Amino acid sequence: MQLKEETNHVTIQSKPERFSARAAKDFRRNSTIYLMLLPVVAFYAVFHYGPLYGLQIAFKNFSAGLGIWNSPWVGFQHFSEFFNGFFFERVVTNTIILGAYDLIFVFPASIVLALMLNEVRHRIFKRTVQSITYIPHFISVVVVVGMLVDFLSVDGLINHIITYFGGKPISFMRLPEWFRTIYTSSAIWQGVGWGSIIYLAAISNIDPSLYEAAKVDGAGRWKQMLQITLPGILPTVIILLILRIGSFMALQDEKILIMYNPVTYETADVIGTYVYRKGILEASYSFSAAVGMFNSMINFMLLIGANYLSKRFTDTKLW
Amino acid sequence: MKTNRKRVVRLVIFMLIVAMIAGCSGKSSGAEEPAGEKGKEGTDVAVGGDPEYPEQLTYWVSLNANASATMQDMNGIAAYQELEKTTGTKVKFQHPPAGQEADAFNIMVSSGNLPDVVEHGWANVSGGPDKAISDGSIIRLNELIEEHAPNLTKVLNEHPEYKKLITTDGGNIYVFPFIRGDEYLLTFNGLIIRKDWLDQLQLPVPETIDEWYEVLKAIKTKDPNGNGQADEIPLLLDMDMTGINHAFVGAWGVTTGFYQVDGKVQYGPIQPEFKSYLETMSKWYAEGLIDQDYAATDGTLKDAKVTNNQVGAFSGYMGSSLGRYSELMIKSNPDVELVGAPNVVLNKGDKPVLGQKDSPFNGFGAAVTKANKFPAETVKWLDYKYGDEGHMLFNFGVEGVSYEMKDGYPTYTDEVMKNPDGLSITQAMSKYNLASYSGPFVQDRRYIEQYSALPQQKAAIETWMNAENDRLMPIISPTAEESTRYASIMNDINTYYEEMVNKFIMGVEPISGFDQFVQTVQGMGIEEALQIQQAALDRFNSR
Repeated sequence: MQLKEETNHVTIQSKPERFSARAAKDFRRNSTIYLMLLPVVAFYAVFHYGPLYGLQIAFKNFSAGLGIWNSPWVGFQHFSEFFNGFFFERVVTNTIILGAYDLIFVFPASIVLALMLNEVRHRIFKRTVQSITYIPHFISVVVVVGMLVDFLSVDGLINHIITYFGGKPISFMRLPEWFRTIYTSSAIWQGVGWGSIIYLAAISNIDPSLYEAAKVDGAGRWKQMLQITLPGILPTVIILLILRIGSFMALQDEKILIMYNPVTYETADVIGTYVYRKGILEASYSFSAAVGMFNSMINFMLLIGANYLSKRFTDTKLW
Repeated sequence: MKTNRKRVVRLVIFMLIVAMIAGCSGKSSGAEEPAGEKGKEGTDVAVGGDPEYPEQLTYWVSLNANASATMQDMNGIAAYQELEKTTGTKVKFQHPPAGQEADAFNIMVSSGNLPDVVEHGWANVSGGPDKAISDGSIIRLNELIEEHAPNLTKVLNEHPEYKKLITTDGGNIYVFPFIRGDEYLLTFNGLIIRKDWLDQLQLPVPETIDEWYEVLKAIKTKDPNGNGQADEIPLLLDMDMTGINHAFVGAWGVTTGFYQVDGKVQYGPIQPEFKSYLETMSKWYAEGLIDQDYAATDGTLKDAKVTNNQVGAFSGYMGSSLGRYSELMIKSNPDVELVGAPNVVLNKGDKPVLGQKDSPFNGFGAAVTKANKFPAETVKWLDYKYGDEGHMLFNFGVEGVSYEMKDGYPTYTDEVMKNPDGLSITQAMSKYNLASYSGPFVQDRRYIEQYSALPQQKAAIETWMNAENDRLMPIISPTAEESTRYASIMNDINTYYEEMVNKFIMGVEPISGFDQFVQTVQGMGIEEALQIQQAALDRFNSR
């Protein structure tokens, strides 16, 4: 064994091949794998890099008749129109707040659920809880919002409960101060079970001997969770956190769009919905491209920043 | 083995290249293929004098919900089947998803992937029809209509007022228009009230704001649906419909948008009269006379609330509300009687200033696109509907099946009026013609005389028609630049308006904040929007 490895080592050192030669060799040896990669590359090229070409309309006055290439350049006009617009502050603030709620409440919810499920010893109970919690993930957003409207309307289920206990009915869907709560808590309901799957997988990867050793040392279940389970899944948590931060400003726009109404614009109108009203309904594509680009740039910078910080303070990083 | 691998590698590279090319050119290939094929035939024929009908057409139009109940696309309508027999033209319809027509239209136009004909409401299209022509999405039809559309030309010559309406300020005619051919067809939306409840409460149909207050209060407190609970919703407010029929707000002589007084354009929401309107609505809301959830009530919820015997009064259409709800509710409760209520006034005996009245042409019609390779033939095909045969076909359907001539009067048969399959009148009608909806033809008065089968419907139209209505704006056409600027200003103002008007009514924002609201709207550029509207109105008046 050792001998073979050594000779191999020597040949590489004595006669270094050029990159192109090595690549060609690798290509020949693993052609099937490359073939499998092909659809993925094509997908990204066509659907993710291709559209980058169209991004130039953010700096142009796009007109359908002239096409992307021939539309006249206008520089940063659309950006300044957005920054000086009447609703700029509000939509940006709302976006940030909902993004923050997402990070603070929705993101940890799956971790907590995974940790709790891990402590459940009764198998059937555990499975049942798991199934029930991840079913909402498969319900379409339209249906979810429909359910919300039904439950939360003045003569809906929740208000029946409130009035049964002598409270006054609340028209949840038309009160701006309730919007964030409803949006975030329903997001938890929708995603908590699905999100916990990856953490459960990470937990099952932890070496059981660590737990045995801890038990010998006298650690209780609480201590075991804090000292072994949590550190064990920490790299997974950090990676997912970095990814989540990278999509900080990319909310579930379509859900907001069907959930909000003019009365709740105050807290519900976010960059995505504003762009929809402006861009699609009013056909100002250039303007919405500019706003969308602004949004993506922020997400991009947040992603880089989060990864940098993580690299600096922990060993986990995306790249 | 080795050669095999080489082959695989080559295959991989080849496929990669193919995938790239396919991805890049995907947009354009779809549009050109069918057009090119048809184009040849089109140009061949066009050379020699009068064109033939086109062999086939692609036709974009939204599919009415009444029609989609019984068919996949408009080829299911008997009138179009007959048209195909006469002209030999095969039409391939493209229907946008219901409820997303505006989105689908904008996406279609910007993708440049256009069908031969687009039937749409052009009045609210961003940039206006003149821009669509200068952008090169649709073509100017003036000359083509003069040459190849004798029927429409005849209609326009007989009715110069139609010609004025369908011509833009740029002098372009861009559609085969949907024209409501009679005064009687222009009014079809207004306030609807439960007459049986009023009778029970021994109150007359209200006319003034004060009477309305009394009636709503009585509905709220005296349990007219008799279930022992105070679950009645006296008034279901609908801000979108208020924009159409000016219910209540019209009593103060203003609208929720732009209107004119002696040729001078005004914006309703910043008028002092609007404050009085808001005060009244907010008072009613606070007293529970207006549905507490009205701002979050959509069509489905409205259906549920009305048919559930809860709603006292609401805004609605003559057919889809008054007619449909009556049909639905009478089955379980024969006492139910819905009637149209007159447009509200401030002082008893006044004639209402504003009601609902549509323009004979409201911007809706079929335009020929730039992608169309045989416009002359298409124009000839579209023109058929304006001739005598086409007129009967698209208003009444097939003689002997959906209508019979009785003493020179086209009378709908029982197939339509009492459909054996249990379809409603509108649904049955939609199987045969376009009369109850819209399309590129002239709507016939005799349709509505039969369609409004219930005496309450006929009465409602008469009641709603009784209004001055001279403050309504005509369909104006701002220039391309104007309408871009206008849209940019009004998008923000409309968002702000919708939000604030509901807050005022719901009491979230005190009425004392109205002056601040007016100032903000002025700061958002309403003056400039007013100037644009004024300029367009002046041009319209001097056409």
